Amino acid sequence: MQFKSRNFDDAAIAIETDNLTVALPDTAGQPQVLKGIDVTIRQGETVCLVGESGSGKSVTSLAIMGLLPDALKVTDGKINLQGENLLPLSQAQMRELRAARVAMIFQEPMTALNPVLRVGDQITEVMELHTKLPPSERRKRAIAIMEQVHLPDVERIFRSYPHQLSGGQRQRIMIAMALVLEPVLLIADEPTTALDVTTQKQILSLIGELQANHGTAVLFITHDMGVVAEIADTVYVMKHGEIVESGPVEQILRHPQKDYTRALLASVPSLSPRPARPDVSDIVLQVDRLNKIYGGGGILKKLPRAHAAKDVSFTLTRGRTLGIVGESGSGKSTVARCIMRLIDPTSGQIRLDGSDIASLSRNQLRPHRKKLQVVFQDPMRSLNPRWTIARSLTEGPLNYGTSKSEAMAEAARLLNVVGLPEDALHRYPHMFSGGQRQRIAIARAVMMRPDVLVADEAVSALDVSVQAQVLDLLDQLQQELGIAIVFITHDLRVAAQICDDVIVMQRGAVVEHGPAGDVLGSPVHPYTRALIDAAPGRDWDFQNFRKMSEAPNARPA
Amino acid sequence: MLGYILRRILAVIPVMLLVAVFVFLLLRLTPGDPAAIIAGDMATPAQLERIREAMGLNQPLHIQFITWIGQLLRGDLGTSLISNTPVSSMIASRMGPTLAIALLTIIMSVLLAVPMGVLAAWKHRSAADYAVMAFSVLGFSIPVFVIGYIFILIFSLKLGWFPVQGYTPISAGLLPFLKNAFLPALTLTTIYVALIARMTRANMLEVLGEDYIRTARAKGAPERTVLFRHALKNAAVPILTVIGTGFALLIGGVVVTETVFNIPGIGRLTVDAILARDYPVIQAMILLTSFLYVLVNLLIDISYSLFDPRIRY
Repeated sequence: MQFKSRNFDDAAIAIETDNLTVALPDTAGQPQVLKGIDVTIRQGETVCLVGESGSGKSVTSLAIMGLLPDALKVTDGKINLQGENLLPLSQAQMRELRAARVAMIFQEPMTALNPVLRVGDQITEVMELHTKLPPSERRKRAIAIMEQVHLPDVERIFRSYPHQLSGGQRQRIMIAMALVLEPVLLIADEPTTALDVTTQKQILSLIGELQANHGTAVLFITHDMGVVAEIADTVYVMKHGEIVESGPVEQILRHPQKDYTRALLASVPSLSPRPARPDVSDIVLQVDRLNKIYGGGGILKKLPRAHAAKDVSFTLTRGRTLGIVGESGSGKSTVARCIMRLIDPTSGQIRLDGSDIASLSRNQLRPHRKKLQVVFQDPMRSLNPRWTIARSLTEGPLNYGTSKSEAMAEAARLLNVVGLPEDALHRYPHMFSGGQRQRIAIARAVMMRPDVLVADEAVSALDVSVQAQVLDLLDQLQQELGIAIVFITHDLRVAAQICDDVIVMQRGAVVEHGPAGDVLGSPVHPYTRALIDAAPGRDWDFQNFRKMSEAPNARPA
Repeated sequence: MLGYILRRILAVIPVMLLVAVFVFLLLRLTPGDPAAIIAGDMATPAQLERIREAMGLNQPLHIQFITWIGQLLRGDLGTSLISNTPVSSMIASRMGPTLAIALLTIIMSVLLAVPMGVLAAWKHRSAADYAVMAFSVLGFSIPVFVIGYIFILIFSLKLGWFPVQGYTPISAGLLPFLKNAFLPALTLTTIYVALIARMTRANMLEVLGEDYIRTARAKGAPERTVLFRHALKNAAVPILTVIGTGFALLIGGVVVTETVFNIPGIGRLTVDAILARDYPVIQAMILLTSFLYVLVNLLIDISYSLFDPRIRY
């Protein structure tokens, strides 16, 4: 792990917040969201602001941009941009400053660009708003910055709409838009969280490259310690609106002073796979040459065909976990949906407890549904917001003829198992945090006593500390009930910690299949290697505050 | 795109054919002898026979249908039983006033309602927002004829700015036309403003919460640009749908306003025909309104792609 060890003490201060305090003035008790934040960023420096959801990272960035939502007000402190306090500035003065001197890129490149305007026009708009350049010059500059962010075929992309571009290309457009006027400060709010690892790697190195060329100060907001290890000069750790700890990146990762920082680092899942559990011969799920082809139909013209799953085969035995990893579009979710028969496979067999369910009709499937349950990615949307937890938990068993009192007793017992109080039964989903909701979603799935649990990116939306708890919970349930799990994820760290076997998918096909230790420890296929290489911070052993290579029984990753 | 338009135009044929079958059967399947219905209670058997002969009612049903469709395709909508004039020329003379007032209404409504809706969404939960919403509720709930009479009372009788009733075609000059058409159009506008402003507000509110609006603000765009360049175009499709269906309703003729302001339009023609059981006119009116509906819907669908590049056919 090569940390950045540049020294910026002599560089001019780009931006500095001094005792920045933000409160909710209209809420009872006027709770403070930011409690006296001091952050200093010098020219050319990359400062990472890390913390879990709700820690105030994004509020800090929005306060600097002057874009706080109406409910939030800065109540104290200063924000000095090159020595000038921004807080007393008028709306119009702040507008002039945005994009020109402080620019921002956001997490979701899919939604951050206006879908009905051409991306070229969205870039030139920045110059239209802030400069008096003639249209031809604006266009020339836009093309130039698009070349600098390494977009291919810029003339065509200039005329494209956002939906015609990939996620990585859209984020490059966002970066081009942010940097076209050479701002002093670039704020990047989780800019790579929604991207695949290989794209993430490219975007991170692009930001580094542009920063070096333009001398921009970068405030990088992230929850991903791996990203921090890759790009930060200085790290600020935030919790509940306060800076817990700050310092050069190596110091924070090697010698964290505060318990919170240590806990945060310790909950980063390790990339080195855990030992596989002993194999058993009791096969619960066997998938044989599963194919899914989309399209090809159409009445007036043939629609293009997409082979979303090509000859996928695997077996899963009782009590074990199979990981399916791959990037977006690799077909991992298609496979999961075929197994659950949410979509119909084009060909192949899916044997659940010995009977093939691949071609059963909806009615014939009914007795098998119970054996196959699912936990989805987004716990905010996978529970019915107008149903009590009790109703969500008991609906399945009631459908299969369990008596009401029996189902309620079981729901109460399972809530206990997943670590929630019994009175949670009579509350609604919005009264719980994301982690709690995911536990409820797991309890709902387990209520049916399934043989196989499909977890589709089930921990991807959660903070690392919560992620660790949910993974522990799955492990515990597996030991107690012997459930087999199909775990779909794009996160190799999570896969390494939970899977016994791993399948790596690329463009619908399985490129590598084997025990997790082999696949992630010594990958054979170039795509698997590329995925592992792109995992940020892979040379750092976060739990033990040292380099991987310094571990006593170091194994080359 | 061109292929799509062509396919949609071709799809109009089966729809209109279905309507035509319905309209044809309407008269033939009503209980009783169509000739007796047409001729009325006092007709002699000889008269009935003459009518049957003239309408081809002696022929088998499918022959009658083919003959009728053939006449339709040649633009022959039949002859009115009451006035004995060709239905096509009756409709032609009534179409002008209805179309003119419909256009005027839609133009005034859009010009008023869209800015009102945008304002209400932008200043969400402010006095301006509540005022727009209150106006919407009022515009919806007061009966059209009441609004019409109130306008006549204020603008015609008290202020004397506009004539009380009547209609002057545009061919007689723009100003005389507007003088007569303005009040009826304004009356209808109150309903349509309520409808379109509500729709604009709801969709703008949704769009203003999107990430790309935050991006636009982060670029330093002034509110005007944020609202009209970034937000309104994204909110346009459902607003357009309401405007389109509203227009289609208007060209079907609005009986109440036409009656209050004594305008010789399609609405009154239809109602008079129904009351007098003037079947050829009723049939023609059903065909015409269905056709206009299909046509307006087609235009709306095509116009979606002008506002949203993601919609491709």
